[in-house]
Amino acid sequence: MDIFTSIFWIATLIWFVASMVRDRKKTLNAVKMSGGMMKGMASEIIAILFLIGLILTFIPPNTIKSFMGESNILIATIIFAFIGCITLIPAFVAFPLVGSLMDSGANIVPVVAFLTTLTMVGIVTFPLEKKEFGIKFTLLRNSLSFIFAIVIAVIMGVII
Amino acid sequence: MMKIKRVIYNNKLFTVVLLTYIVLTALIPGKAVQAFQNSLYYVKEMLMIMPVILLLTSLITAWVPRKAIEDNFGKGSGIKGSILSFLLGSFSAGPIYAAFPVCKALLAKGASISNIVVILSTWAVIKVPMLVNEAKFLSPKFMIIRWILTTISIFLLGFIMSKMIKKEDLPQEKSNDHEEKGGIHLSQEYCIGCGLCAKIAPDYFELINKRAIVKNAFIKDGEEIIVRDVIGKCPAKVISTT
Repeated sequence: MDIFTSIFWIATLIWFVASMVRDRKKTLNAVKMSGGMMKGMASEIIAILFLIGLILTFIPPNTIKSFMGESNILIATIIFAFIGCITLIPAFVAFPLVGSLMDSGANIVPVVAFLTTLTMVGIVTFPLEKKEFGIKFTLLRNSLSFIFAIVIAVIMGVII
Repeated sequence: MMKIKRVIYNNKLFTVVLLTYIVLTALIPGKAVQAFQNSLYYVKEMLMIMPVILLLTSLITAWVPRKAIEDNFGKGSGIKGSILSFLLGSFSAGPIYAAFPVCKALLAKGASISNIVVILSTWAVIKVPMLVNEAKFLSPKFMIIRWILTTISIFLLGFIMSKMIKKEDLPQEKSNDHEEKGGIHLSQEYCIGCGLCAKIAPDYFELINKRAIVKNAFIKDGEEIIVRDVIGKCPAKVISTT
């Protein structure tokens, strides 16, 4: 286990023990709740982890590198930002997925654009959002978020 | 048969991936083994970080006083309001649509457009347990820089939206009083399927297809406390009584 993970394990466990001491019932209830949520996502999480294996086996790193790395970063970024808008996978499993793409040589810019639109822009949840906040609000929030996602991605590409 | 169909439908992605592996094993077993082995590294890493994220999410749910934050939303709470919105979004659980009813309730309490946008966006992108996951799979440096840039963007977004949208542009609250008196109501479309209600009050709620339903809408005498407990604990605030 790397240092980063270990530190988080230790800190979280300390907090957990303190929480159990203070209010056992409240703590266990909360654990049950997040456990329930996690169980709902379990099949998707497993599916995506094994999808990563398929991607790494069948799409050679050179293809990933040339499509998402060298050739046309701007087009790749816009395509990936769009994919992020229409996909509805837990952000939770998106990190190992894009991590594997980056290990194969994908450029950081499309990756960040995908991560940001994945969570911030929702085509699938658009009808629900429209119902609650109206068409103008929803349209503006989603399109501005899309633009910001691209801007964030480009800045990250320059910094890192 | 119906049941099998439903299981497949609920686990579409899983079914597709599983079928791919089965076909692959039959045709080119070598590649199937290779793909499986390539995945194992990520499965192992995920198993190491997942319990921590689960625990962290639970602890945040248990101890961050979300109710107090929500109650502190005043009309003109300038910078304080923005910071509260940011914290509320960062320390919440569940996908973005779970934030819709919460934001709707805050709007009714007088929260500003920009604060609502800040809550929705932070709820979607910046969640503390997710940051842990991001740092693990992509690197702490990557996570911190993306966090800083996203935070700046979110406040800018809130500012721009508040200039372009007035409160009158939002749909007015319609009173849906076709519910019978004394009944329990649950907006299923926003349920995140945590199953807490069914665990606390199995007489009233049930989890079907990863969403909660009301089994029995009429509260028995003396059981109001249980139902009120469920309403308070529901992370997506989808349960109400009329």
